[in-house]
Amino acid sequence: MRKLSLLRSGAFRFAILIAAIFAIGTGVLLVEVERSVGRYATEVASDSVAAELAVLQGEDRTAGRGDLIRSITLREQAVREHQIRYLLVDNQAHRLAGSIPAAAARVGSYDLVLPAIDHGDEGDGAAVSLMTVGVRLNDGAILVVGSDTSDLKDLRRALGLSTIEFGIGISLLALIGGLVVGTIFLRRLDRVNRAVERIMQGSLSERLPAIGMSPEFDGLSTNLNLMLDRIESLMAGLRQVSTDIAHDLRTPLTRLRQRLEDMKAGLSGAEPVTEEQVEAAIAETDSILAIFRALLRISSLEAGAGKQRFGEVDLSEILNRVFRAYLPVAEDTHHTLSADIASDVTVQGDAELLTQAITNLTENALVHTPPGSHICLSVSRAMSGVVVAVADNGPGIPATERDKVLQRFYRLDESRHTQGAGLGLALVSAIASLHGGQLLLSDNCPGLRVEMTFGG
Amino acid sequence: MKLLLLEDDADTRDHVAKVLRAAGHVIDTCSNGPDAIFLGTSNSYGVLILDRMVPGVDGLSVLKALRSAGVLTPAIFLTAMDNVDDRVEGLETGADDYLVKPFAGSELLARVAALGRRPPIQDAVTRLSVADLEVDLLKRTVTRAGRRIDLQQQEYKLLEYLIRHAGEIVTRTMLLENVWSFHFDPGTNLIESHMSRLRAKVDRGFDRDLIHTVRNAGYRLDAET
Repeated sequence: MRKLSLLRSGAFRFAILIAAIFAIGTGVLLVEVERSVGRYATEVASDSVAAELAVLQGEDRTAGRGDLIRSITLREQAVREHQIRYLLVDNQAHRLAGSIPAAAARVGSYDLVLPAIDHGDEGDGAAVSLMTVGVRLNDGAILVVGSDTSDLKDLRRALGLSTIEFGIGISLLALIGGLVVGTIFLRRLDRVNRAVERIMQGSLSERLPAIGMSPEFDGLSTNLNLMLDRIESLMAGLRQVSTDIAHDLRTPLTRLRQRLEDMKAGLSGAEPVTEEQVEAAIAETDSILAIFRALLRISSLEAGAGKQRFGEVDLSEILNRVFRAYLPVAEDTHHTLSADIASDVTVQGDAELLTQAITNLTENALVHTPPGSHICLSVSRAMSGVVVAVADNGPGIPATERDKVLQRFYRLDESRHTQGAGLGLALVSAIASLHGGQLLLSDNCPGLRVEMTFGG
Repeated sequence: MKLLLLEDDADTRDHVAKVLRAAGHVIDTCSNGPDAIFLGTSNSYGVLILDRMVPGVDGLSVLKALRSAGVLTPAIFLTAMDNVDDRVEGLETGADDYLVKPFAGSELLARVAALGRRPPIQDAVTRLSVADLEVDLLKRTVTRAGRRIDLQQQEYKLLEYLIRHAGEIVTRTMLLENVWSFHFDPGTNLIESHMSRLRAKVDRGFDRDLIHTVRNAGYRLDAET
């Protein structure tokens, strides 16, 4: 698998394919040329035969048979290399003149092959091909004129040969060209392939080199690199979740174990197991399960789950609902809660998730600000889109910590004693990015202002 | 009430069946889809309790098959899948309620009880009353012992849900889902804050309390204590 062999490579197959196409193309072209040339030559030959016949027939009519015989004999001697030959027989089929055998005295067109005849000036004595045309004269005699087609055959043979030679030559050229191009391509592909193998073996930050050759190939490697980026960030997320679970679930699980051990000791010891102990253990389990649930929800949101059910969501209605739900809660915790809600503000999204996000932000504000603080829920349309904000005048979050609180399980030292697992903002952040929005934390002077912005 | 329980995990099945039997229900249990379809079509149940993820024919397909066979028994899905999509898909299939594992026994009991007495109060009913408490569903007015009680919108919705389920236990999650449309646990004492205000108006100053807290379960609106 390591080294691609040339013969089995795509480059070779590509070259073969190109060569075959060229070979077929050349063959077809040359066969067609040969045919046209042959047809043309045949036409020329039959034209000259017809002309010759007309002249001789005219002579027979005007000057008489004797002159015709003399004329034929003269012509037989005059025509060089016997390009044209003649035959005249009387109505008893006796030869009167000409060099074509008397047996060929037929009316109409024929192809005739004559065995080698000693002509004296044609030393090799090769067989001769004739194209003959015979006509009957008015007294029943037959006049035949034949044109030697041997040259025509030679021409065709030569053309055929060059057809084959050219075909082979062009195919070879195509083969070599294909191989050169293919090999270059193969080398570049091999470089990419090796990079992929290194990535698979764990060097995850490596990226593919450009393939070159054409923008389409470079586009491919760019896209593959983007895919690798995405995979890397997803894997980092996964690793983060596993680490988080390992670290942050250990504490509550340890507490649960201790409670169960205490209860076990209580079964046989002096202090009997109380219902409170059992309830505390159940509550501990529930909070562990809640953490699991939140983690799973965050990672499924980060993977883009729920997007297919997006629809028009009335943010104003959600804000109003959350505001009314929390008004008495805020009263009980001695906070003041106000709302500034523009009407009919809508976004594309999931109503349930957005409700949860806004609820989480409100809860956060209630839990992390001291009694007497003021909290304001608002939604408004801005130039850039829609802004949902939850602002308080509590202690706020130092600028250096604002990014970190969006991470899972991150908790400010000041809030260690409050309930929660440090997943709320991470969940809100995941919900915001699922909606193509952003979560921004800023200074409310004093206090914290959390904004979720959605593009218009 | 006679119930059908489809659950493939033997421990969970035994536990759930025990909880339901202790509350006085009669349970048929099965561990796979085909059995559930057979039992569901050949018996008459008050409520079907179906695990969504069972090997072979899953709970979703079981409910589809039963619904297309004309079985209209209320059904509740039990599932380990806690996604908005999964819940919506379950409800679209014809389930009437949806409970994410793990759940408290009291939660399942309350929901089974709520489903079991369906069909609920018809829309034609315009007045509901428990003891001397009366709610006019059309005018949205509340009176107790003939005296008019003014409620905020949220308090009224809460009371309306309680009185529609009078005599039954309603859990915190049922209230969150039905009164506020919150399909998640907000964490703070949201319900308690609203409930204490409602109680202050409905119960305070009268001879007996109608809204009862059921420990480790939820609330109940009832003339009996």
